[in-house]
Amino acid sequence: MFRLSEIEHTFRLPPHRLDRPLAEAIKGELESLFVDKVIAYLGLCISIYDIRSIDGGFVFPGDGASTYTVKFRLIIFCPFVGEVIAGRLIDSTDEGLKLSLGFFDDIHVPVSKLPQGSCSETDPDNKGKVRWMWNYGDGQKFPIDNLDEIRLRVHDVRYPKVPLEQESSSKNEEESSSKNEEESSSKNEQKSRSKKPFAPMEIMGFLDCDGLGPISWWV
Amino acid sequence: MKILEEYAGALTNFEVLDFLRSKVNGKDPKTQLSPSEFKVYDYLEQTAASVQTRDIVNKFINECKSYDLAPAEILNIINIRPASEVEVYTIIEDCENRSGIDTEKLVETVVQVLPAPPTEMEHDEGAAANEEEAVANEEETADKDQNEVTA
Repeated sequence: MFRLSEIEHTFRLPPHRLDRPLAEAIKGELESLFVDKVIAYLGLCISIYDIRSIDGGFVFPGDGASTYTVKFRLIIFCPFVGEVIAGRLIDSTDEGLKLSLGFFDDIHVPVSKLPQGSCSETDPDNKGKVRWMWNYGDGQKFPIDNLDEIRLRVHDVRYPKVPLEQESSSKNEEESSSKNEEESSSKNEQKSRSKKPFAPMEIMGFLDCDGLGPISWWV
Repeated sequence: MKILEEYAGALTNFEVLDFLRSKVNGKDPKTQLSPSEFKVYDYLEQTAASVQTRDIVNKFINECKSYDLAPAEILNIINIRPASEVEVYTIIEDCENRSGIDTEKLVETVVQVLPAPPTEMEHDEGAAANEEEAVANEEETADKDQNEVTA
């Protein structure tokens, strides 16, 4: 689930950090730069493990701060494909499940990767949500709920590209159609459904295997 | 930013938890966990890693040498601590067709060497016990009040 990666980074050390010894000041600046950020095709940075070397300290003309080149190691969260991890259910819709590890919320299990013979029921408590059930042959149904941890196998780790532009054209459309209230409201509904906040890193999970799914199924 | 080495070593959940713990209990009281680090710490405290020690993990890795396991699989077993055969099957790739693995024995070693994680049941029981105590205390005070009234 976790691993180390060695990084070299050249950056400007702002002078307000200089009230601490240099090594600590640099560590503080690195933490604000990297911790809790996703590096594409590497993973989510958890913490600065250690600092290997500090070079430089050059002050560029016209700049009120020194620039350092630092080699350091980061603790990276990036489960490998095929790894089994345990998370908790945070969302269950007709598109599949969404699970969370507490510090990482973008784990998706699409419908095609649910246990074979899964069926959904509309959730009476939450509008627009569904409850997934595993239909185990002889009429027994096992619900997937957030009562206990769910084990999943990592199927794929994706790093979607950062969207460059807001969807301005669709906004205009919305304005033009605002005269017809019914139409716009139905469109809005569709939009809110398809609209997902951008996630720089997504883990696709897999549940269709003996031993995967809520722990209570197997223990 | 330049990535010098993408893969400079794998870490078990225990090692990450150990690192975060040492950061909290370090010499410098000024170092604190950032909110995101605290979330990781919180998650790991609920996993099997919370009761592991360096000796236990080393011992388990040595025990694993007798089985024909890939390093990634050993890592995954330490993190998940499978306590039954069906859980082992999910972790080990193509388990049925590999001759070097006796899953029954492997589960036995896992259960023997790696300590069981604190389960939610225990937490709940503890909480229930506390509640009972609280209720008992309340009753006592109520009794006292009554006594005072009667007196």
